[in-house]
Amino acid sequence: MRKSSATRLGVALPSIVGVMICLLAGGAVSLAHASGAPSPASLGRSIFHDASLSASGQMSCASCHVPARAHAQGNTSAVQAGGENLDVAGFRAVPSLRYLNFDLPFFFQKDGTPTGGFNRDGRADDLVEQARRPFLAAHEMGNVDAASVADKLSRAEYADAFRHVFGANVFADVDMAFLAALFSIASFESSARELHPFTSKFDLFLRGRLVLSTQELRGFALFNRPDKGNCAGCHPSTRQPDGSPPVFTDYTYDALGVPRNPEIAANADPAYFDLGLCGPDRTDLAERRDLCGQFKVPTLRNVATRQVWFHNGYFHSLKDALHFYVERDTHPERWYPVDAAGAPDKFDDLPAPLRRNVNTQEPPYDRRPGQAPRLDDAEIDDVIAFLGTLTDGYDDATGTADPARDVALP
Amino acid sequence: MQHNHFGRGALALALGMALSPAAHADEAALKSEIDALRAEVAALQAAVKQMQAGQAQAAVPPPATSAVAGAAPPPAAAAAVSSTAVAATAQPVAGDSALAGTTLWGYGELNYNRPTGNAGDTQADLRRAVIGFGHSFDESTRVYGEFEWEHAVASADDQGETEVEQLYVEHSLTGNYGVRAGLMLIPLGLLNEHHEPANYYGVERNFVETAIIPTTWREGGVAMYGTTDSGFSWNVGVGTGPDLGKWDPSSDEGRESPLGSIHQELQLAKAHDLSGFGALNWQGIPGLLVGAGVFAGKIGQDTSDFPADGAQLVLSEAHVRWQPGPFDLSALYTRGTISDTQALNLTYLGQPTPVPKAFWGGYAQGAWRALEWGRSSLVPFVRYEEFNTGAEYAQQPPGFGTPALPTERVWTAGANYYLNPNVVFKVDYQHFNYDDEALGYGNRFDLGLGYQF
Repeated sequence: MRKSSATRLGVALPSIVGVMICLLAGGAVSLAHASGAPSPASLGRSIFHDASLSASGQMSCASCHVPARAHAQGNTSAVQAGGENLDVAGFRAVPSLRYLNFDLPFFFQKDGTPTGGFNRDGRADDLVEQARRPFLAAHEMGNVDAASVADKLSRAEYADAFRHVFGANVFADVDMAFLAALFSIASFESSARELHPFTSKFDLFLRGRLVLSTQELRGFALFNRPDKGNCAGCHPSTRQPDGSPPVFTDYTYDALGVPRNPEIAANADPAYFDLGLCGPDRTDLAERRDLCGQFKVPTLRNVATRQVWFHNGYFHSLKDALHFYVERDTHPERWYPVDAAGAPDKFDDLPAPLRRNVNTQEPPYDRRPGQAPRLDDAEIDDVIAFLGTLTDGYDDATGTADPARDVALP
Repeated sequence: MQHNHFGRGALALALGMALSPAAHADEAALKSEIDALRAEVAALQAAVKQMQAGQAQAAVPPPATSAVAGAAPPPAAAAAVSSTAVAATAQPVAGDSALAGTTLWGYGELNYNRPTGNAGDTQADLRRAVIGFGHSFDESTRVYGEFEWEHAVASADDQGETEVEQLYVEHSLTGNYGVRAGLMLIPLGLLNEHHEPANYYGVERNFVETAIIPTTWREGGVAMYGTTDSGFSWNVGVGTGPDLGKWDPSSDEGRESPLGSIHQELQLAKAHDLSGFGALNWQGIPGLLVGAGVFAGKIGQDTSDFPADGAQLVLSEAHVRWQPGPFDLSALYTRGTISDTQALNLTYLGQPTPVPKAFWGGYAQGAWRALEWGRSSLVPFVRYEEFNTGAEYAQQPPGFGTPALPTERVWTAGANYYLNPNVVFKVDYQHFNYDDEALGYGNRFDLGLGYQF
């Protein structure tokens, strides 16, 4: 009972404190607007870029979520290394933070479909909770606890501004100070237009301001067609019911059977499997073996600017990723290890009993060896051309898109 | 009415008793008694007339069938159920002076559909149960409401719906015309304003007046209506219209009924762009009805950054109905267009349901009151329909156009058996020229039960 109460208290306290901070911050935001004084969002921007908040002193949020790369990784590594010496290997590829503010807390739809949540396994319910993990993860910023983060915050150049917004004694309570920092980052991510600019060529097209090229239109049609790419089945491309532009994710989860990636150090252990919703990082759904292997459907905005694709960063080119989608079932030997007899070890990044969880019902996965893939090479090129229209920072004058153009947005 | 019958019967009995031989003892006294009774009967008759006059003034007929003085009669079965008959069955709420002038009415239908090619999809459904009311505030001002439950159970976990189909105030300016305001049925076609099950042939409402004219179609607004001595009735108004922003290209709804998928039913309706409508009917020759109607307006609703903000909807229709003797013949044609959809449809490329540029439908129907006994009758009928919900799409760059949908052709043959004018059992068979499982198109056998009061 004591433990249970403590657990409840542990859950409740951050919420209560969070509400208090929201109230404080709400006032602060008003003040900021009125006087140009610092706000949680402006502090969040500073914290986001502050490498001194990590154990190494060399890693900030922006190190992995590079603003000019649509807030995703800037290098070609499948996963990033962190910790005090930047030598602790990570487990998953870096997701883009753009458009993340539209996500919802994790829930199951009436038909049982897992939906929403932050992180690739949805275990954080909001941006505040999502921001907590990297500060303390051994393979990321590597702080040992909240006190360590608070201590670094108190010595940051914006510490006075932090006190101005959250109170002169904010650093007296390390949990309060840490929570204030997380709230600041969440405020920045929610409010800064650079994180949800809707400045792509597709957005202009959706508003009727321009027409996509013939190849882009062909790719768009293939993307939508239920009998071809069927991409829109999970990455909706039409306006949302309230009229707002599509985010190209339905926030659900899917098991795609992405090949095991030897670039991830943890995969050297044949007993290690990253099973997404059912663990090992996420623990509350460990018993739901039917969900093993499912990862969150990401936004496809800025997908063409990524360096690696899928949760484990297995693919290093968008074209390979698309070929995998349509050839996974028609030519599995191209994507999975084959044994001496030439038989592919299909879905090799899942334990054998869980491979049945992989989606093999919907196009383009509903094929068998010997059948033609749902998209041929030329059609894949068309889809890639269309996906390029989802890159932020489109300049109609030059016909180019660059997410870096949005970084200056307020 | 039953009360009146009882009163007259009691009088007859009293007279009979008075004239019996046992009462002949005193002829003069008898004559005097008869005179007294005559006077009493006259007084009672006067009182009954007065009561009837009072009821006629208080009784508010159901709006769907008879709210408009001189409106078109119910389309399908006027001989069996006239608007007057329905009005007469509307029940005044008695016993409370606060409710004097209030009537209740209603209707309902239960359907059974058995696809012949896929019996596993056989379905029985309490299609709808409807309660309506009318209330006269005074001789010239009335309010009408119609409340409907569809599919038996409406809750967060069920597919049923609860809806307000009509709710408007009507004010007569003279004997020949008036105004109304509120949520009103659009006066297009033969069915939309007269959709009670005893008023049409066949278990299901015809496709043309559900897929093209989205019966039951209502909008919020104001309207004027009236009649002329030469047999014309008219109805014009302005109000809300559909919202093209609601179009879902990934769903079948727009293919099933383009306007049915984007009408707003006055539910937090986007109302920037008003639409107009008008209808004209002529009934100058007994048994003949000729009419036409049009609905037009912008349907972009000033949605920001919406590539079809300038889209215009025009839906027009013409209808004729002739009821010579035991026959009931009708025909209707309707066509709709939506402009400026090229840029919008381009954003739906590859999706299964783009917005059509044109959609249309028409039908011809014949019914014959073959048997009639007492208040019951048997009316076999046959109907032929053609309709196309995607007859044409806006032109796109070469290679990106959408081909027109095939035209659906449906034969329906069956019979309405009226147990009495207000209770009907139905049976029919429907033959489709092509199957569409998603829309439920496929040969089928149907049974139905409907009532109205």
